Amino acid sequence: MSATIALLGQPNSGKSTLFNALTGLRQHVGNWPGKTVEKKEGTFTHKGDTYSVADLPGSYSMSANSDEEVITRDFIASGKADVVCILADSSQLERSLFMLADYAGLSAPCFLVLNMADVAKEQGKKIDANKIEQKLGIPVMLFSATDTKSYDIFYATLERAIKEKSHINVSALEAEYQKIDGYQDIQQRISDCTIPGYTPMWLTVKILEHDKVVTAKLKNALPDEVMKHIEQQTKSSETAIAAGECKFNWIDSILSGAVTETKTKTTLGRLDRIYTHKFWGKPAVVLTVLLGLLASFIPALPIMGIGSGVDMVNGMIRSSLMETGTSAFLTGLLCDVLIQSLSYVIKMLGFVFGVTLVFGLLEEVGVMARISYVFDNTMGKLGLQGKSVMPFLVSFGCTMGGAAGARVIDNWGQKVLTIALAWAVPCGAAWAIIPMLSTVFFGAGAPLVIVALLLVMILHMWITAKIFGRKLVKTEDKCGMIMELPPYHKPKWGALMRYVFGRTKDTFFRVVKVVLLVCGIFWLLSYGGSTGENSILEKFGLAIEPVTKFFGMPWQLFLAFIASSVGKEGAVGVITALYSGGSIGTAFSEAMAGGARAANLNELLLANVTRPEALAFIFAITFNLPCVVALAATYQEIHSVKWTLKIALYYTVSALLLGCIAYHIGMLIW
Amino acid sequence: MNLSELKENSEAVISGIAGDARFISRITSIGLTPGCHVQIIKNDKNRPVLLYSRDTMIAVNRRECTGITVTEVRK
Repeated sequence: MSATIALLGQPNSGKSTLFNALTGLRQHVGNWPGKTVEKKEGTFTHKGDTYSVADLPGSYSMSANSDEEVITRDFIASGKADVVCILADSSQLERSLFMLADYAGLSAPCFLVLNMADVAKEQGKKIDANKIEQKLGIPVMLFSATDTKSYDIFYATLERAIKEKSHINVSALEAEYQKIDGYQDIQQRISDCTIPGYTPMWLTVKILEHDKVVTAKLKNALPDEVMKHIEQQTKSSETAIAAGECKFNWIDSILSGAVTETKTKTTLGRLDRIYTHKFWGKPAVVLTVLLGLLASFIPALPIMGIGSGVDMVNGMIRSSLMETGTSAFLTGLLCDVLIQSLSYVIKMLGFVFGVTLVFGLLEEVGVMARISYVFDNTMGKLGLQGKSVMPFLVSFGCTMGGAAGARVIDNWGQKVLTIALAWAVPCGAAWAIIPMLSTVFFGAGAPLVIVALLLVMILHMWITAKIFGRKLVKTEDKCGMIMELPPYHKPKWGALMRYVFGRTKDTFFRVVKVVLLVCGIFWLLSYGGSTGENSILEKFGLAIEPVTKFFGMPWQLFLAFIASSVGKEGAVGVITALYSGGSIGTAFSEAMAGGARAANLNELLLANVTRPEALAFIFAITFNLPCVVALAATYQEIHSVKWTLKIALYYTVSALLLGCIAYHIGMLIW
Repeated sequence: MNLSELKENSEAVISGIAGDARFISRITSIGLTPGCHVQIIKNDKNRPVLLYSRDTMIAVNRRECTGITVTEVRK
């Protein structure tokens, strides 16, 4: 037998944890057809039966507030799932059963998992799942992800739900709805087959709630005069508010007699008093993220070590190939493209692994919600969520890590905008070469250059937010936060680690393809042939030098700028090669592999580059697109070729513009 | 008065909600409905209002607070 289960639950209901625990590494992240929403699927076997699991996206309800919610309910109505597993948080049952109340009336069979039973127990709540089950008419179970016995009960409940095809008993809920003016009138005009998968009760309530998608669908399904009649009754917002009250009244009636609790006065915990503090909240959050970043280096270092190992092997292969007289073309293709790309990706993958682990942990423990709270106001000015502050901080280390960290942002447009802005943050590679270049050219003035770069970064982010924000963040998404700050949870390490490994593996395979492609093209263009004649890239650079000169860059610097889009460290190698004669491709990949800089680099630079040109170059490479791996990671996170290219093009053009401005300011000074 | 005008540690009952369908849906799905009891935990300038309701700690942006009218409950 095989069956499909869909997981449905509000944020913090433990849905992802259950999904990861059930499917382990057998999961796949893709896209919902035609949408930018992430689709998470996985499989598991139990007693020889294969189950596929769909982790439904979605937030607090089944309304049409977002693509996620529309996808979720369309998926359920399509009948693709044999059973829907609805999750609720036992420690806040009243509120978290709202999803169940909003679900009631959809025709897919379902069962209810009351998660976080351990937390509820600690709070002194006693929940009688049997009583709730009797009232609801569907299997109901208490569950705690950290308890291994829970899973046996889960499988048993799942099997029961599939066999019984259980539906929620909605008669008490419908009795509540009938008290709303206009409910009966509208409900009578809709039949079971008006829109398949939805009952008349559910559709009527959505009309009363002014659900745009349902209203539009009904317009197609019902005669005009019926629709006109319906719309007349739902003009005020009162009906929507009343529908919400009905749901909670119903939840109260379900829970009455089934839950006993000892009322305690609520106060903030010690940690929350720091995080929510007027002055110390922000420093505490930044410190938490930075400590998290440092901690993420511990698991990252071994992976980065593997990358360095690949570099060493690469060096050995290169020298032995040259000894045996293999053609320069083949050697280059193998060493400068194939093995080199692998090494870039592995090194940065360490960062992705660390960041995914630490961010995943912060989210699971509940700290992420506090971060959202503290930075809601600041990030709101950029049209973003409070959480966006985290990818920004990570990007000081590695933009790929920042892009991977943007996963925690649940709105696609805001996620894309966050990554687009994170690109403006100078990454570790920039910090490795910018201070060096600044010191060579400006000596004691170098700190001033750094300060100027940071100021430009802030301005850049602000302007970029204005430019892209209009398209990416719809006005209705600009709304401020209305969000739960969940109680702190103990992490479930096994599920978390499985998730992190799965995610890192996915990122690796997707990113490696893009990196190979881009590095291959770059290498081909920079390949000078065995005779040492000018490569296509050099010819191109020379040809458009009159134009790039205006931007403050002689052709050598312009080519180094282009190389910096592939990898910033490589730009220095390209400069050395171009001013001292040598192969760009090899110099680039050696610099990327962390090879020693030419001993005469300072003299080479000072002899060939003027100070305004140097300033232009520094600004241009700092704000150029970070590197090909970041580009690939961005694509992996946002699933849109169009937007990835759009952002990349924007960064190339704006970096040249910034370089141009810096150059002309430099000309005025020197 | 609206939600953001409540002082820290005060308690109130929501008396009305006003806004577009999207706002009503969002505020309802987090559990804030008319008649619902709230306890203000923190109310700092430039920060969302932090409140406790239906066993849940909830943060509500200050702008969104203007759509939620409340009646203070004297303890």
